[in-house]
Amino acid sequence: MNPIAIGAAPLSPNDINTAITNALIQGGQGWLVMTIVAFLPIIWTITLMFHFGRPYMIRMLRKCSLRFGADVWWMSYVLIRDGVMVVLFCMSIIFFMPNLVDSMPFPITAPISAVFLLWALLVKLVRSVDDEPQMYQLASVFLILGATLYYIPQVFAVEATSQVHLAALANTLQSSADVTWANGIMFTSLALLVLTGGFIFTYVLGTINRAAISGKRRRHGLPAELRRPVEAQP
Amino acid sequence: MSVQDLTNAIVSGLQAGGEQFLEGTMAGALPIIWLFILALHLARPYMLQLVNKFTLRLGADLLWLVYIAIREVALIIGVAASFMFFFPDVVVTDALPLTGGLAASCVFAVLVIKLVSDPDNNPRLFDLTSVLLAAGAALYFIPYILGVQANAIGLTGTWNAISQFLVTNTNPIWAAGMTYGSIGIVSVLGAVAAYYSTRIAAHPVSETEA
Repeated sequence: MNPIAIGAAPLSPNDINTAITNALIQGGQGWLVMTIVAFLPIIWTITLMFHFGRPYMIRMLRKCSLRFGADVWWMSYVLIRDGVMVVLFCMSIIFFMPNLVDSMPFPITAPISAVFLLWALLVKLVRSVDDEPQMYQLASVFLILGATLYYIPQVFAVEATSQVHLAALANTLQSSADVTWANGIMFTSLALLVLTGGFIFTYVLGTINRAAISGKRRRHGLPAELRRPVEAQP
Repeated sequence: MSVQDLTNAIVSGLQAGGEQFLEGTMAGALPIIWLFILALHLARPYMLQLVNKFTLRLGADLLWLVYIAIREVALIIGVAASFMFFFPDVVVTDALPLTGGLAASCVFAVLVIKLVSDPDNNPRLFDLTSVLLAAGAALYFIPYILGVQANAIGLTGTWNAISQFLVTNTNPIWAAGMTYGSIGIVSVLGAVAAYYSTRIAAHPVSETEA
């Protein structure tokens, strides 16, 4: 087979094969990562909806005439709500990859938002958010801060490069445009993440050991205000 | 052209094409989601009719809960899939319905109304949510059909001007304005929802009175 000439330099089939292979790998990786980055605001929104949708869920719960239906409803809600938070945190791990942070236009404060999300999960782990209003508010504050630190750079910088009047933000709030700050934020957040992770690890081990010693188990289920027979459906 | 140049060109093509394909597919799927939302919302009398036919409370409870869950999840998916309308670059680059962001704001408003009150027990609020959903559907369908899906049928004159006006990438200034307006509406509604939810958590007794 004759070499294929593109412009002045001829490329052999092997060269084109290499180029397409490299392009698929690099392009596929870039597309996947940027798709995750663009989808994360959606998952943040769903997280906030489920978290702040609690009063609605409880109102629906009160309409159930049987404990069975109420339990299924509440458990489904809790599983989905907390599952979405865990999925969001797992997807946010890309913001702690130095190569990606330096080479791709990530929201510069995305690592901090992941830390706030982890702290919200931590509050849920160590206290009962559904039974203690102050803890619910604390988790809400962490979630709002985390979401805001993701939304603002994503909407007004990463996805607004075409807007001339937002050029200053685009140059400040994208990780690849300000690598020094991006790395500083990322490594600081990583340190906080490791510290929080270490605390969670020791806390869980301590809880298991205490439970093994005392033989007590923490009770999970409906919020305290609903642990009574559910009234008839109006 | 070197191998690296060719690689870079293919990478750019894959990323830009992949992104636009994904966004175009979501814009194409949104009419289906909108129809689904409307169908489930308007099916409420039919569901109540079915619930009343059950001889066991368990079956009635489960049917009602499944209906409510699917209905509200459809609303959440509607807002989530519309998130691209809040990204200025996306609306300026892609051919999207001009008022898609406002349509998403309408769905979000319905979700907030359902959070702070009970449209299932209040006919006036049910009417309000119905009007908002109808307005949202109109704000999505009209520019989608007359604009996005009608730019290759040889429209001329005023119709062509209207068709181009209704598409974001042929009307970028309005599109950016709509995006910022929608972001403002959704932000205010989100703040209301967050305030309400945390207030209820602090004063759970008032919830039963609400």
